[in-house]
Amino acid sequence: MASPARPIYALLSLLSLFVCLLLPVLRFLGRMTADRFKFGLLFASIAWFVFASLWAAAAKKTEKR
Amino acid sequence: MSPKIATLAARLDNLYEFDREPVTPEKLQPWTKFAGMFAGEHVAATEFVIGAFFVLHGVTARDLLLGLLFGNLLAVLSWTFVCAPIAVRTRLTLYWYVRKIAGPGLMVIYNIANAILYCILAGAMIAVSATAVGLAFNIKTPALTDVFPNSLAWVLIAFALGALFTLLAVLGFEKLSRFAQVSSPWIFVIFIAGALALLPRLGVKTDFSNFWEIAQTKIWNGVAVAGQEKLGFLHILFFAWFCNLAMHIGLSDMAVFRYAKRWTYGLFSAFGMFPGHMLAWICSGIMVAAVGREMNPGMMAYEAAGLAGVGGLLLAGWTTANPTLYRAGLALQAVTPNWPRWKTTLSAGAATTILACFPIVFMKLLDYVALYGLILMPIGAVIFAEHWILPLFKIEQYRAEKRGWTINVPALIVWIGTLVAVFLLPIHLYFKWLPGYGIALISYTLLAALGRKEAE
Repeated sequence: MASPARPIYALLSLLSLFVCLLLPVLRFLGRMTADRFKFGLLFASIAWFVFASLWAAAAKKTEKR
Repeated sequence: MSPKIATLAARLDNLYEFDREPVTPEKLQPWTKFAGMFAGEHVAATEFVIGAFFVLHGVTARDLLLGLLFGNLLAVLSWTFVCAPIAVRTRLTLYWYVRKIAGPGLMVIYNIANAILYCILAGAMIAVSATAVGLAFNIKTPALTDVFPNSLAWVLIAFALGALFTLLAVLGFEKLSRFAQVSSPWIFVIFIAGALALLPRLGVKTDFSNFWEIAQTKIWNGVAVAGQEKLGFLHILFFAWFCNLAMHIGLSDMAVFRYAKRWTYGLFSAFGMFPGHMLAWICSGIMVAAVGREMNPGMMAYEAAGLAGVGGLLLAGWTTANPTLYRAGLALQAVTPNWPRWKTTLSAGAATTILACFPIVFMKLLDYVALYGLILMPIGAVIFAEHWILPLFKIEQYRAEKRGWTINVPALIVWIGTLVAVFLLPIHLYFKWLPGYGIALISYTLLAALGRKEAE
């Protein structure tokens, strides 16, 4: 049986990755300063690692079952 | 077989025992696994350096794009038409197929050569990551022409990072592999983010209307920096093609494709080549141009994407050095008397760490990549000839295995002879492997035919 949190982790990790891609677009369009872009990218990156690791762990648990 | 070689071969056989039998039909994998694996494996720390080097070598924008397009296409076709068909027909790893064709003695030599080459490659990855740490401590990155370390501080950083990577590889290879799977999509995004964020610095307009003009005049402007050789279309094409020569023409990815349902799964290598060896190289080229054409991956990543960029560089180095150290340790286990895995990984890591202190391992990375593939290529040619060409001429296959040879002497002669011949060829290093492959195929077939006549 699939872990109920798995789709939530998947969604949140994909959202973080999307933000990692969106921020440089905003920077390129001049809608964001370099410092804000770098801070935002760091924050979204940390979010990716947290949620993607939880997603991978949930997927592994499901496989074991 | 001499007792010493027999012992070494037996030790190696034990290590690879788990994949001795051909893969059974129920273990075959869907195409998505291959696409995912290739996409994850080809975005490494060295991509930060390779794309940047193309800029420093004065490649023009047109030569770069066409060279990467056709070179990567040829690489994909090499996986599809050379590596995957043999893997699918035999369902064996290269290790067992080399043993069957070249004999256990030559397989031991091949393994040791591979281990040494792996250590140098991992050393380059650690050195690239060291530039990121050096940035935090304001340590000067070695110059393009540096062979030896330029300061004690650089040695300390490379050493510390090498020791850390080795320790982590010793502590848990499998957990790190899972972490690498999580990291790889993000590392790829960091390449794109860094390049995109630096485009305004180069003067690219928000509607991209002047991108091609900027690309031709400010990024790949065709002017090599002082001391760097100018590269053109053919150099780029060949580089993209041979960058993974050991894996496709050298057949080491038989280990992967033996799980493929069809040989056409080789086409899924495009998922690694075009994002990793095309887009990531283009991105690192943009980044180095935007930071004043200075080969300092750490500074480049920081300027482009801040701490996330530095993290990306470190992780790209770590996650790719980790399996490389593991493979080197595995290869070394044959020649180390009853050493456990941790001890061989530690030894490979120690050698790698020392190598990482020498900036030449990443400052001459393009040449090293060429040499790495070139050295292992003749064995790929021997396997190809044995598998496809010998049956065409009705020459007996697998004589080494059938007659219990320790070393298939014709294969050894072809390996050494091809390397001597290509080093004497008066052509650029990047182009040497292709005539070398032809030399190896023809000479091995001729030697096998001569062997048949003698036997008759």
